[in-house]
Amino acid sequence: MTPIKLEDLCAEIKTKAGCQCEIYDGVLGDQTISITPDQLKPVIDVIFKTFDYYHLSAITVQQRKDQPDEIEVFYNFWSGSGFSLMLRLPVKSAKLPSIISIIPGADFYEREAAEMFGIEFTGRSETPPLLLPDEWDQGPPFIGEKEKNG
Amino acid sequence: MDKISIPIGPQHPLLKEPLSMMVDISGEKVLGGSLRLGYVHRGIERLAQQRTYVQNIHLIERICGICSHVHTTTYCYAVEALLGIEIPPRAQYIRALMCELERIHSHLLWLGILAKHIGLDTIFMHTWHDREMVLDIMEEVSGGRVSHAANQIGGVRFDLDAEHDKMIRKILIKLHSQVEGLLDVIETEPAAMARTKGVAPISPDLIKAYGVVGPVARASGVDVDMRRDAPLPPYDQLEVKVITHKDGDAWARTFVRVEETRVSLNLCETIIREMPRGDVVVRTPRRIPAGEVIIRSEAPRGELFYYLRSDGSDKPARLKVRTPTLAALSLLPVQLSEINVADIPVVLAGVDLCIACADR
Repeated sequence: MTPIKLEDLCAEIKTKAGCQCEIYDGVLGDQTISITPDQLKPVIDVIFKTFDYYHLSAITVQQRKDQPDEIEVFYNFWSGSGFSLMLRLPVKSAKLPSIISIIPGADFYEREAAEMFGIEFTGRSETPPLLLPDEWDQGPPFIGEKEKNG
Repeated sequence: MDKISIPIGPQHPLLKEPLSMMVDISGEKVLGGSLRLGYVHRGIERLAQQRTYVQNIHLIERICGICSHVHTTTYCYAVEALLGIEIPPRAQYIRALMCELERIHSHLLWLGILAKHIGLDTIFMHTWHDREMVLDIMEEVSGGRVSHAANQIGGVRFDLDAEHDKMIRKILIKLHSQVEGLLDVIETEPAAMARTKGVAPISPDLIKAYGVVGPVARASGVDVDMRRDAPLPPYDQLEVKVITHKDGDAWARTFVRVEETRVSLNLCETIIREMPRGDVVVRTPRRIPAGEVIIRSEAPRGELFYYLRSDGSDKPARLKVRTPTLAALSLLPVQLSEINVADIPVVLAGVDLCIACADR
């Protein structure tokens, strides 16, 4: 398995999806590129068609204390080496297109992101709870009280 | 024939940990199923944000009762990466030794469960007896059979002496011959072959689409192993033979795990033989510099993913853990479709479920 070259991936994304992506060098370990939410599906489509083998390791979501109005989402992939897509969403209208039509294995990760961070995934029927009880009524546990309650 | 839905779990003799499944059947055929997790969700990622980096080692060790050591190893390597330190070589080798012992006892435990499910009780008793020998080593060197508390930030908590060395070598020799016998059984025993050959095959395309990792992926011909592909020290200095098989069925998953047990036994021998002398820990500061890191390691069930972000305080700002079972579970409803009802236990065992890991 040949490790991915970030420059090649960016060039491929630019050619095939018409998206300009930026290299984000904040994360040790994985190579990361920064995209916008509307670029997510076209970029993942390019990844799916470009590489013989890859898998989605995780969808990592966080709300930073220094940027409480935003949610940061990483799509962490593996293809001989780790690479991630990073994008930011506003907490109050956190919406992303679902990618389960391209990567069915993203189902559990999207459901976890939905219940823990309140992200709405569009283009899929529903996001039933994965880990929290059905009767959970205290909102997404990882979102600060201030942002949760407006 | 009419469709009937059967609930399996959250408490069921098939399951060693709580998981709820609804399986749709028509006659003897399974049409599909759905899963519900969360019965052992402890909110560990959220709890980790409220504890210091040192306290978190204790917490993270309790994500799983089988692969507890690889969790703390991955976590400690993540913290050490943010600190920009390298632990002493001897500590790296002790960490790897415990990881391989953990893989051996996890695979033996799994083989025993599979054997029990398909009615081979003698194999179940043999594998669990052999697994006890591995647990004896872990208890002798660390003081704990399940939670070993081996890791600390900057190294490990204990050293190995000549007596440990002698004991480990002796048990490894015994285990080698036991595992040879087990491999012989799965390759020749008609009952084992009949219950696993051709059952619930998974194609490499499905493996990729569902992000399945570890022995299940390798049994479908996907050549991926983080010990070789993203080696944490000292795996960069060890030769890891990656076992794959092309059939992708329950038998291939059995074969891969038993062969991997042999590989791990060889790795343990190499680690013991080549273990460098010296310190087992370095002093580290309690406050971790701001930064974020991703570390991948190879747990017994496959790629273990850790994301850790520090904001410069003594507690993590975010810890994300993706365990290999979670990926495998997402494929389970697909695997269950079009199989016979009697094969449900074989399919469940084939995944090597660790619900505590998946739920966190």
